[in-house]
Amino acid sequence: MGTEIKSQENCENSLRNRKKKEALTQNNVLKSSEKSEVKPQNESKGKVENQQQIESTTKPQIHEERNDKSFRIRLEFDPMSVVLFTLAIITRFFKLSEPRNVVFDELHYGKYVSLYMRNVFFFEKHPPLGKQLIASAAYFAGYNGNNTFSKIGSEYSENVPIFWLRFIPALFGSLLVPVSYNLLLQLKINRWVATLGGLLIVFDNALLTQSRFILMEPMLILFSTSALLFLMRFLDSKYFSINWCLNGLLAGVFYSFSISVKYVGFYSYVLGGILVARHIWLELRDKTFSDLTIAMRIITKGILLVVIPTAIYLGIFHIHLNMLYKAGPHDSVMTSAFQASLEGGLASITHGQPLKVVHGSQITLRHTNGRPCWLHSHAQVYPVKYEDKRGSSHQQQVTCYSFKDVNNWWIVKRPSKVDFSIGDELDMIKDGDEIQLVHGLTSRALNSHDVAAPVSPQSQEVSCYIDYNISMPGQLLWRVEILNKEEEGIHWHAIKSQVRLVHVTTQTALRFTGRQLPQWGYNQHEIAADKNLNHPDTSDQKERERQLLKSEMIPMERTDLSFWQKFRELQSKMFWQSDTVQNHMYSSEPLEWPFLSKGIAYWYQKDTNAQIHLLGNIALWYSTTFSLLFYVAFLVFYLLRRRRQFIDLNDQEWRKFQDAGFTFLLGYLINFLPYFFVERTLFLHNYLPALIYKIYLLCFLIEHIHDILRRSNQNLIIFTYKVLVCSWLIYVFHVFRTFLIVSYGRTRLTTDDVMNLRWRDTWDFIFS
Amino acid sequence: MTLTKTKESSMKNSTTKDSQEKDKWYRIALSVVILLTVVTRFHKVLEPDHVCWDETHFGKMGSWYINRTFFFDVHPPLGKMLIALSGKLTGYNGTYPFEKPADKYNGTNYEGMRVFCTALGAAIVPMAFETVSDLTGSVQAAFISAGYIIFDVGMITLNQYILLDPPLLFFMAASVMGMVKVSKFTQNQSFTRRWWQWLMFTGTMIACTISVKFVGLFVVLLVGFQTISDLWNVLGDLSKPIFYSIYQLAARAFALILWPIILYIFFFYIHLSVLNKSGNGDGFYSSGFQSRLIGNSLYNASMPREVAYGAIITLKNHKTGGGYLHSHFHLYPKTVGARQQQVTTYTHKDDNNKWLIKPYDRETFGKKNVTIVKNGDLVRLEHFQTRRNLHSHNEKAPITVKHFQNGTGDANDIFKILIVNGREGDPIETVSTKFKLIHYFQHCAVTSPGKQLPKWGFEQQEVSCNPNLRDKNVLWNVEDNYFEMLPNVSFHVYAPSFISRFLESHAVMLQGNAGLKPKEGEITSRPWQWPINYKGQFFSGGNFRIYLLGNPIIWWSNLVFMALFLLTYFIAAVKQQRGYEESEEIQKKEYKWRSLNAGMWLFMGWILHYLPFWAMGRVLYFHHYFPAVIFNSMLTGVMFNYLAERMPNWMKHVAIGTIFGILSYSFKLFQPLAYGFADASTESNSTMFGLRWLESWEF
Repeated sequence: MGTEIKSQENCENSLRNRKKKEALTQNNVLKSSEKSEVKPQNESKGKVENQQQIESTTKPQIHEERNDKSFRIRLEFDPMSVVLFTLAIITRFFKLSEPRNVVFDELHYGKYVSLYMRNVFFFEKHPPLGKQLIASAAYFAGYNGNNTFSKIGSEYSENVPIFWLRFIPALFGSLLVPVSYNLLLQLKINRWVATLGGLLIVFDNALLTQSRFILMEPMLILFSTSALLFLMRFLDSKYFSINWCLNGLLAGVFYSFSISVKYVGFYSYVLGGILVARHIWLELRDKTFSDLTIAMRIITKGILLVVIPTAIYLGIFHIHLNMLYKAGPHDSVMTSAFQASLEGGLASITHGQPLKVVHGSQITLRHTNGRPCWLHSHAQVYPVKYEDKRGSSHQQQVTCYSFKDVNNWWIVKRPSKVDFSIGDELDMIKDGDEIQLVHGLTSRALNSHDVAAPVSPQSQEVSCYIDYNISMPGQLLWRVEILNKEEEGIHWHAIKSQVRLVHVTTQTALRFTGRQLPQWGYNQHEIAADKNLNHPDTSDQKERERQLLKSEMIPMERTDLSFWQKFRELQSKMFWQSDTVQNHMYSSEPLEWPFLSKGIAYWYQKDTNAQIHLLGNIALWYSTTFSLLFYVAFLVFYLLRRRRQFIDLNDQEWRKFQDAGFTFLLGYLINFLPYFFVERTLFLHNYLPALIYKIYLLCFLIEHIHDILRRSNQNLIIFTYKVLVCSWLIYVFHVFRTFLIVSYGRTRLTTDDVMNLRWRDTWDFIFS
Repeated sequence: MTLTKTKESSMKNSTTKDSQEKDKWYRIALSVVILLTVVTRFHKVLEPDHVCWDETHFGKMGSWYINRTFFFDVHPPLGKMLIALSGKLTGYNGTYPFEKPADKYNGTNYEGMRVFCTALGAAIVPMAFETVSDLTGSVQAAFISAGYIIFDVGMITLNQYILLDPPLLFFMAASVMGMVKVSKFTQNQSFTRRWWQWLMFTGTMIACTISVKFVGLFVVLLVGFQTISDLWNVLGDLSKPIFYSIYQLAARAFALILWPIILYIFFFYIHLSVLNKSGNGDGFYSSGFQSRLIGNSLYNASMPREVAYGAIITLKNHKTGGGYLHSHFHLYPKTVGARQQQVTTYTHKDDNNKWLIKPYDRETFGKKNVTIVKNGDLVRLEHFQTRRNLHSHNEKAPITVKHFQNGTGDANDIFKILIVNGREGDPIETVSTKFKLIHYFQHCAVTSPGKQLPKWGFEQQEVSCNPNLRDKNVLWNVEDNYFEMLPNVSFHVYAPSFISRFLESHAVMLQGNAGLKPKEGEITSRPWQWPINYKGQFFSGGNFRIYLLGNPIIWWSNLVFMALFLLTYFIAAVKQQRGYEESEEIQKKEYKWRSLNAGMWLFMGWILHYLPFWAMGRVLYFHHYFPAVIFNSMLTGVMFNYLAERMPNWMKHVAIGTIFGILSYSFKLFQPLAYGFADASTESNSTMFGLRWLESWEF
């Protein structure tokens, strides 16, 4: 299988790592030859196998290792876990570093990992943990972060340790199998059925494909599943015992981890919350406990499952913000203060500038309310006539531009002074002063005339004044009104002062209208002067939005924001960043997922037709979808019968049936239904967290039907049922084998081969 | 009515005297409520005598019904049909244009429509009274609930004009009342005449609610939940045979599912048969649909059945609301791909929509032998006005970057016609054939992705060549077909049946609703603003101002009482679960849970009418919250009564007196918002200025 050879390399690789020295090698010596292929790969988290050995030398210092300890308790007694894990490792790690090309979203995540390597700040709407984990693996592999990840399919250069970049997702994807097995056992499901569950997860092509590249889902799914596992153990164990404490802690930790990989991890957390609430609710009935005991229990649960996860979440962001201290490509999303806190950011450009705005200061003015953009002007003039036949002043354009540009610079000038020399005595501008603003590059002053603005004709046009020597003298005076003078004082200060500029002759305020200029204005945003805010004409307009342009000066020194300030800003930007819905060729709708109507082309090689396509195991997906219907049918049937006092299941069985519903069915719904209300572009891989629960539900159902059949005491029926399940499993395996070629993407395909794989005509494989 | 009321409300232990007393109070309270309602609602109902706010839409639509011209609206028809009916009956002739708000009516008979809507809106109050009275069995609770609705100035404002909200709220309140009655009678009087009456009433009302606006769906859900709960109770009654439960189920399935569906379809039937003249909504609908409209160019049109080479045709995109393939003299601007002539889709009929269909290899077509265009043929399309060919090449399209740009005037312009599910050799038929136009070299399909071009494209819709041949926007059909060599056949034959038109209207409405997205930079009202009464809406400006805003006292106290309710319910539930209730008297316990369950249903109504708005991406308005307010006000009545019952007698009277005092005083303060006030924005000492408790209120 080629794994032998690879394990050699891995040993060497891991030896090269600075961090783990003797401990690992020692373990390696201890290990039996059979398992040696697995061990070296367990790096940061996967001490599982190592600790399975008798070695007593493990040092339980951090959470992760402690989790493995309790994890180990099961594994030690359970060779099945080991077998399943090995199987998972083999499938997940097989030729992991191929193809040596950028595959699908590696484009994004790879880029972010590279930025981590270089400590460059970036902005993304997903939380950082997943990228941090991958980045740490990359760090140990000595990746320097210099690959550009320019486009899907482009080849990695020699110095990219692609195996190690893909290592964490593959490892976590493999760990999912034994964790699932244990979760099923935890719900008192038969060992064989639990094994079946593990196998099903191994045999799902979508989970396999997703685990082999630099993608977030494997981590997300593993964390939320382990959290659920430990939560179940937590709820089952005796109050305030060590086990209870440990399991609760781990559940909390894993929940916060899964939320920190992707915010959709929150759905699993909600599921956990519901399970805990249900547990508490049932416990209320027990009168042997006093009210105080119950209150204490609720409080401790709250600490373990709410307070600690929150702290960890904050810690992860702390690391994130500490690591990324250099300025980078997404700076302009953040406020100037934030940008100035980054090394090589704004502060280095403007370094040495005074804090106070004085006559002669060179400033940029940034619109602060909503879209970030800067007051901008360029040599082009407004067209003489607009498309709707209105005329313009034909003066130089003034716009709001969303990027940093030399044309964003303005000079503050007192109307009384002739030159810009600052002089010895600083002439500070304060609230109420009248000033002129001169555009730096064109040396023309900001002006407004009683001419309608290009796109919002109800407002007044703003321009830079060109003297055409016609009867339109410039009206260049602007009054500075500092809006937050209570806090910042009456003097105009950099970034801190929010400023409104009021045109003196017409009493209108400079305003960002939110509309874009047509082609002639390079699609930049319109700036206009609007009638004064203080006199809103209260006509019957529905919504009258008045966003004034507040200005802000770029800080001149590196600002030192506290973690909380940075965190609050980043967090709010992450939540409110609106996605634009784009039409992606491989995007799909939630309704298409349960029946696998559409896959995603991940990678494609033109000359061989070899390709990687995200597709689930269709046999499995259909079965799980039907298992949902079956479970619901059973549930309704039992409920109705019980209502009429027909008791089909004894208390214990009924409890188990309910538990399965509360964890698996509810888990599925919580992870699936929200997508119907989401307006982002969605992809098939968004479905995988929900899919896991469906697979578990299917396992429960297989066992449940078996239990029912066993009551008949007819061995023939039971035997037939077992045969049926086995043959179904074989079929699932067959489908898995068939589609393995698009999961690994190593096989040269002819057009016919591709067409043969196209089992549903909605699947869009690429071929030439 | 009152007799059974007595029977119902008399508890096991209460004497007849008690129930008589209660009955008396019930009648007094109801009369007071009705009196107050009539006085508050019909005061100044005819002022202002100009078009207010959305009257411009719904008045216009009423006129269109009266004139029978076809139009398109995102809401189902019942509300507008009722407005039109009331207008027609009171002498409005449908000629007033309702152009924009603040247009004077100048003698138009608008009064009938206003009074009709107000009457519907007024009926909400007694129905809410009935609902609460049935739910809790307490006149007092019902009276407070009614007071909360009566004195809410926002409710008055919204229900005084020609809008869809009065009928919507009316039907909704009626559904809830019916639901409560059915539930009440189910226990002892199932299958009596009265039970059937209320059941059918509920079914009718939910059908009406959802036929006014699709938000009626929420009340349907509420009724559904209540029904399930009733059935669950019936099923749990082991003294009754299982067949009894099945009858119950069947009766409800008929009255609450089947019957409403029939009614709903029936309303659409009326809608589609009344509107039989061509109007401004034609372009949204498919060619077949249009052929049923008198005055439309397709109505009774006769044109060749099949498309032959040399015919001049128009092509309509087959998606709902799709436009015609269009081109004009203007070129794509410099920065956008090649400078070729623009190709767009355009929803209106125009000579620039005409194309000449030619075989791929020759310019001339035999004058004698007519060749029909068949499935799989290679063709070229020449724009009739500019004599240029439809063309595509490997360039990025203006907006959808992945597609290829279409332009006209080059040689790379052969397209293959592929009929959907067509066999080789099938002819292309006018209107009925759906086909794809696939570019022969690029292997991409001509698509209208539904995106608007910027100004340079006159804001028509973009056309691109999409390599994804299964995209749902790639289908086209021939709409007009001019060709002299073929015999013209009457078009009427292909007209779709009622059912397919019914379905198509829904597809178009759905798309219209989804299209009501806020534009970039536009600010819409957000759901979090509603319960706290953050911002209102101007109904009328100028010197007669009307501002839709809830009575802040009522709205804010509503929230307080809701929080109190949730807390009380939670505590009671925990106590019950802990088994602390066993010591309580049975009667007291029963009363407590009756109130709490009543509150729970009302709370559910509130949640159902409020929460879904959070998930909606469309443009939202403040008035969307009013259905929820009714539930909240009823809940307040229930909760207030629950608390008052635990007080000593004298305190109870004081409390009730105080709350009515506060309600009427706040009403007196804020009533100008509903009945009109003059512009007073500049005088800081005016009465209205003092009432601006929140900065965000704009009056």
